[in-house]
Amino acid sequence: MTNMKYFEHIPVQAAKGMILMRLGYKKNRTVLNDEQQRVLDKGIKQGIRLCQPKGVFGRFNIVQHSQSFIELQNQQILRSKNLSLLLEKSDEVVLMASTVGKAVIEKISHEVNEGDAALGVILDAVASQIADAGLNWMMEFIYKIVRREGKKLTKHRYSPGYGDFSLENQKVIFDMLKLDRLGLKLTEKFMLIPEKSVLAIVGIERIEANE
Amino acid sequence: MNREAFKKYLQENIMILDGATGTQLQKKGMPRGVCPEQWVIEHREVIIEVQREYIQAGSNAVYTPTFGGNRIKLQEYGLGDKVIEFNRKLAQLSREAVGDRGFVVGDLAPTGQFVQPLGEMPFEELVNIYKEQVRGLLEGGVDFFVIETMMDIQEARAALLAVKESCDLPVCVSMTFNEDGRTLTGTDPVTALITLQSLGADAVGCNCSTGPQAMLHIIAAMRKHAKIPLLAKPNAGLPKLVDGNTVFDMAPVEFGKHVKAFIDLGVTLIGGCCGTSPEYIEQIRQNIAGLKPLLPAAEKHGTAVSAVTSARKTVYIGFDGPLVTVGERINPTGKKQLQAELREGRTEEVVDLALEQVDDGADILDVNVGMPGIDEKETMLQVIEALSSMVHVPLCLDSSNPDVIEAALRIYPGRALINSISAEKTKMEKLLPIAAKYGAMFILLPLSDKGIPKTAEERGKLVEQVYCEAQKHGFNKQDIVVDGLVMTVSSDQQAAMETLKLIDWCTHSFGCNTIIGLSNVSFGLPERSLINAAFLAMAMGRGLTMAIANPSDEKLTNIKKAGDVLTAKDINSKNYIAHFAKDEQIQRAVKDNKSSTAVTEQIYDAIVKGNKESINTLIDIALKEGSNPANLVDEHLIPAIMYVGELYDQGKYFLPQLIQSAETMKKAFEQVEPLLRTDGVKTAENKVKVILATVKGDIHDIGKNIVGLMLKNYGFEVYDLGKDVSAEEIVQKAKEINADIVGLSALMTTTMLEMKQVIALAKEEGLNCKFMIGGAVINEHYAQEIGADGYARDAHNAVKLAKKLSDTN
Repeated sequence: MTNMKYFEHIPVQAAKGMILMRLGYKKNRTVLNDEQQRVLDKGIKQGIRLCQPKGVFGRFNIVQHSQSFIELQNQQILRSKNLSLLLEKSDEVVLMASTVGKAVIEKISHEVNEGDAALGVILDAVASQIADAGLNWMMEFIYKIVRREGKKLTKHRYSPGYGDFSLENQKVIFDMLKLDRLGLKLTEKFMLIPEKSVLAIVGIERIEANE
Repeated sequence: MNREAFKKYLQENIMILDGATGTQLQKKGMPRGVCPEQWVIEHREVIIEVQREYIQAGSNAVYTPTFGGNRIKLQEYGLGDKVIEFNRKLAQLSREAVGDRGFVVGDLAPTGQFVQPLGEMPFEELVNIYKEQVRGLLEGGVDFFVIETMMDIQEARAALLAVKESCDLPVCVSMTFNEDGRTLTGTDPVTALITLQSLGADAVGCNCSTGPQAMLHIIAAMRKHAKIPLLAKPNAGLPKLVDGNTVFDMAPVEFGKHVKAFIDLGVTLIGGCCGTSPEYIEQIRQNIAGLKPLLPAAEKHGTAVSAVTSARKTVYIGFDGPLVTVGERINPTGKKQLQAELREGRTEEVVDLALEQVDDGADILDVNVGMPGIDEKETMLQVIEALSSMVHVPLCLDSSNPDVIEAALRIYPGRALINSISAEKTKMEKLLPIAAKYGAMFILLPLSDKGIPKTAEERGKLVEQVYCEAQKHGFNKQDIVVDGLVMTVSSDQQAAMETLKLIDWCTHSFGCNTIIGLSNVSFGLPERSLINAAFLAMAMGRGLTMAIANPSDEKLTNIKKAGDVLTAKDINSKNYIAHFAKDEQIQRAVKDNKSSTAVTEQIYDAIVKGNKESINTLIDIALKEGSNPANLVDEHLIPAIMYVGELYDQGKYFLPQLIQSAETMKKAFEQVEPLLRTDGVKTAENKVKVILATVKGDIHDIGKNIVGLMLKNYGFEVYDLGKDVSAEEIVQKAKEINADIVGLSALMTTTMLEMKQVIALAKEEGLNCKFMIGGAVINEHYAQEIGADGYARDAHNAVKLAKKLSDTN
């Protein structure tokens, strides 16, 4: 499909502050000794090395817009009042997916179950952060493209599992983005494998003359 | 127009480019959704009119309407086989429009694909895609080329190589930058300039991106090191969509007010991008009246620099800045693990070595993968690909094989340093043209087919000889770094002095940068690092600008830092102070930590600090000294882990510390437990039994595993049933072991519902245990709703809750 763009290695930068926040670090309160700092830094580096951030996004027109759902091309329906509200000014949406691959997940699982669990949770936080950063990177990319068209993105992005946008919607996005091409799978209960894979939707809006 | 004529034109004239084409075509009737290239060919009179209006307004050059004229873009309309035909016809139309009143500029723009490893497009394929378009444009008779609106330096490089390998016409490259001053893939303006001008662009600049005001900052950044003319094509302010049409918020007169500022910054090619029209070009024409083009700054002020780049960073080399450290460790010689990985085609160890060296302060990384039993070229390409996405520092490509160097330079997304070119005849003949084509800097090795000259004077003659040849390929002294050729002092004690003399001569007479590989000098002597460090200090005193070294050698890096202060290259000793102030803080922290003396205090301390390595030894000592195992547990281990819990509650500890301490506790407990009689401490017989499971359909179990770990470490007997576990299995196991507590975890909204099933089934079966639940989407309310006995938001709270539930059991 020509309107989809796959990235084999998203050059994301893992923000250390965000990783620490995920681990419950509190600025000016949490105290690390030298050894703990070393373990943390080493874990973060290892996590960055193990993650293989890939992603894809695609632009799709909104065919129908109701209060409780939006319909995209090919009769694909995403059901959620909140999402519909978020997209009220949008004629088009961007569907995105980002994943960090299998290697880091296997390592996390190994460390938590039979290795060094502290390292495991650090790797876990790094992987989550990088998966999110992959979406951020793509949004920045998309913003740059739509800005040239006099458009902008909605303030927030939305993901299946938020509010009334149920997880079942992952199937629609999964199929539309052909996520098997990124090596992803969807379970019966609509979970993405490998873990640390995230889907999102963001609306494209026009910039009003008075903005 | 040849390159010389182009250069001369811009020394004498400011060239006014055209404004936007797409919006002008739309104004004159081009509908949305059509292939613009095809529509223009079918409505030839429209483009002729648009481009004549630009010439009329003052443009000296128009871009061919071929923005989407590459195979990938045309294929979106099923016209991928029309590349040459369309480009030829479109160039001819532009020529027809402007005649001899203006230049026709062959326009190449992004394909929308990304080069590996970011995207899927092989670099060479992209070069060929552009070459096809270039061929069509050449057939149509363009005067020169522009590669515009580039968001990725690697795509810009591919297009630039395509033009240069197809013809001798001048070529300009114009990048587009985000609001943060970087391209989408992270290249800053200076890095883009140095990379592209080294690769042979005849002008570099910026288009689109922003309105004129913000673009001035980008041009200003490029100005200082520009050896070639600069190009600017800003938008007419910022775009907005009004009634379905994109409009820009800056009027022509206001746009025109910025023109002088661009010219003052050395821009000699100026036009407009999105939202501009002939009215804007007319304003440019009026505002440049009386202005003269400036020479490129580097030429005018002699500010050409020695610099190498990666895709995201420029590293300057020279007499004014700190010594540049080239990390030497990516070299398989003597490294068995690295050799094994490279043989298997893996790059993990290379990436490790790269990250470590960068962390330790390497400014550039030397990459050498030469060893028997591998395809050196393929391995080099693989390593460059891996490193260019993992580290930001530039690379020094180190190989004795010119083919490897050429292949590496071709895909390297910046300006590399070659290690090395000597005065050996075949090396010079092969490598100088390659280095020149890709614009690389190179390390000049002053040895010839006759071998290594002994004296500095003889080496100096070889430097002059190689440089003389290099000049013929367009190199100047900023592009070379002379290797001091360090020989071993244990076999010839004069060797070091000869190297120092050569460095001195290069610095003070010849005028070029120098580099030494340090470790050779001390070979065969004891305490080699002392010799290496002393030699580095002496060489820095003679003006050395680069060193190939192991950046994790603390002595060397400290000497470097001190040397930079003493040679006044570390301005205000800023780097030195920053580095050692941090070290002092660490030393103080270490000192503060060494407080406890009695072994039981050390045990307490080890649990609090999560020191897994020492805990078993400490307990051994305590036991040998006569400590009672039960007392150890009650008076030291449990208070310590309770204190850790308090620290976590207060936010002084975060999750990894909590777990580290819990794991240390587990090791301690495993050691002491067999020695406990009973009293006071729960042993295997009277521990609280907890079943943990991630419910059916859910595969996320990290949180549950952490809870299990914590519970075990706090003395609970944990039965972990794993993930995706059915209600029946959980209830059956609970019955079988007579569980006190069942802990259920679910991460997703689709699977949390399963928790209700488990509790309902347990009640049906008459189970008398407590239920606690947790997971990202769970809350207290949901726990109450499904009849669970409690909810825990994290592992620490799960332990607290389990204790509370077991006390009430």
